Amino acid sequence: MSLNIIVCVKQVPHPEHFSRITLDPIRQTISREGIPAVINPLDLHALEEALRIREELSGKVTAISMGPPQARCALEEALAIGADDAVLLCDKSFAGADTLATAYSLACGIKKLGRFALILCGNETIDSATGQVGPQLAEFLGIPHVTSVIQIAFEQGSSLIVRQALEEGYMKVRVKLPAMLAVAKGINQPRLPTVWAIMEAGSKEMQIWGASDIGATQDMIGLEGSPTHVTGIFERDTTRRREILEGPPRQIAKKAVNRLHELIAT
Amino acid sequence: MDFAPTREQEMLRDMVRAFAESELAPNALSFDEKGEFPFEALKKAAKLGLVGIINSKEYGGSDMGHLARMIMIEEISRVYPPLGFYFQTGQIGMYGLQNFGSEEQKKKYLPPLCQGDTVMAWALTEATGGSDASTLQTTAELVGDEYNVNGRKVFITAGETADVVGFVAKAGDGTNLLLVEKGTPGFTTPRREERLGLRSIPVSELAFTNCRIPKENLVGQEGRGVRLALAGIGAVGRPGAAAVSLGIAQGAYEVTLRFAKERNLYGKAIVQLQAVQFALVNMNVETEAARWLCYYTGWLLDQGKSPGEIGPDIARAKLYATDVANKVCLKAAEIMGGYGLSPEYQLVRRLRDALELLPAAGAQDVQRVIIGGAIAR
Repeated sequence: MSLNIIVCVKQVPHPEHFSRITLDPIRQTISREGIPAVINPLDLHALEEALRIREELSGKVTAISMGPPQARCALEEALAIGADDAVLLCDKSFAGADTLATAYSLACGIKKLGRFALILCGNETIDSATGQVGPQLAEFLGIPHVTSVIQIAFEQGSSLIVRQALEEGYMKVRVKLPAMLAVAKGINQPRLPTVWAIMEAGSKEMQIWGASDIGATQDMIGLEGSPTHVTGIFERDTTRRREILEGPPRQIAKKAVNRLHELIAT
Repeated sequence: MDFAPTREQEMLRDMVRAFAESELAPNALSFDEKGEFPFEALKKAAKLGLVGIINSKEYGGSDMGHLARMIMIEEISRVYPPLGFYFQTGQIGMYGLQNFGSEEQKKKYLPPLCQGDTVMAWALTEATGGSDASTLQTTAELVGDEYNVNGRKVFITAGETADVVGFVAKAGDGTNLLLVEKGTPGFTTPRREERLGLRSIPVSELAFTNCRIPKENLVGQEGRGVRLALAGIGAVGRPGAAAVSLGIAQGAYEVTLRFAKERNLYGKAIVQLQAVQFALVNMNVETEAARWLCYYTGWLLDQGKSPGEIGPDIARAKLYATDVANKVCLKAAEIMGGYGLSPEYQLVRRLRDALELLPAAGAQDVQRVIIGGAIAR
């Protein structure tokens, strides 16, 4: 069995520099300026799983991303880690996309890539954490999807048995290929690129496609194609409010219970 | 003039940093306390292609070059200087084999070294000194098809750990660079030196007592041993020592900055106090200056310059980066107060390691002699 596997990656701000992220109240976005970028950590798990499947069953791994020109760096890293080729969807008209417009654009890009057996992505990103793009992408492509995947096993024929993490325990799901799986952290330990692979990455193919290359409908992409409207952006107050209760232990306990009741009521 | 790192160099830095943070940082304190050679970390680094970074692919290396090596050693030493220091010395031998060794020697020794399965040491220093090779006492007398070696080497990094040691001995009117394998009769490592820093990389005395070494273990031309050994130290050892120092300075600076942001005094973080801020600024500026001297050295080597041609450039990087490492660590200890000297704050091991760099790969004054010789000409 030889499989074409597509891995969706997103470039996100480096988690170590989150404290430097500021809010832009006028454009109602977060400002990432000057903050180093990395591949979304869960996407690295998706890539690792794709590489393991390729190593076991043979096939090809294509990394795809939608983003500004600098998102190229994330794809270069994916190539160094082991992807065979990469596609960057990059066009000014993609800017301002919400999850739906992003999923649509990715779906157009993936359709252009041709036949595939599996799409893998991280369950959510660390910068927006909606977890929506993967399932929306699957819907656009008309294929089944499973989220929070922590194990993938191939069955005879063209189906998979995947283990989906639940809040308590897990569920085994049989999925027919082609399918989209959003993976969770426990699935594997992502590898680092080797020096040899880093040096080879530059010779691998990376295609850059704009909206017209993928046949995307203008009113489905970017800000125009995004039904989500941000009406306000603010920083949550995370100051801890402390109260010191004094007195004999019994009284403190009573006060504490009363105080908790008050807080729950509000 | 192009100061921009290549995309490959950027990815290398990210990879080595991730490796150091995941594999070395959690164990740095216990490695240091136990004083054991980090074999497992070496093997993992080898799998990533870091050990053979200046060796050709033909012999298992990854051949990314000297500037890449500087970045790699800097990032390793930012977290755990002793492993960086092993690269400083071990790679001298690997460079020597690559550039001066016979085809048989390269095929035999380089692949397992690049894979981290074996360890190499480089031995020039004797009790009478390291940088003045004219005082060498160790002798290699050709008897039939073998050299009969007698003498002692001191302060040999990874000497007792090494599976193969490249060493220099007097032979007739000249000197020879020879290889000795661990376990060769007449070759022992009688004493492990007590060291203040870099404690997990043993430093040992080597003893040769009528040690018979086959003639084919001669590296390079007969009579040119010291020249070859010094070429290895110049191209690999000294730049490596500079990069270890740079990594120590960067690591100590980061530890101090983090502390200064967390430690409160007079109702605010001490990083807000101008006296502390200015000290941190000096650390930052000097570390950055050291970085560019180091990278310039690596770049020059990648341009094909010989260590002889760029001796003063290499000396500048080693002299300055090592001074900065020591200065930064000492200032850090002042800023961090009592915490700075508590092992758990990870500064004190860096301070001890920085001191070890002062005599390594040519003492600071030896670097001044090299630079002085060039400017006084």
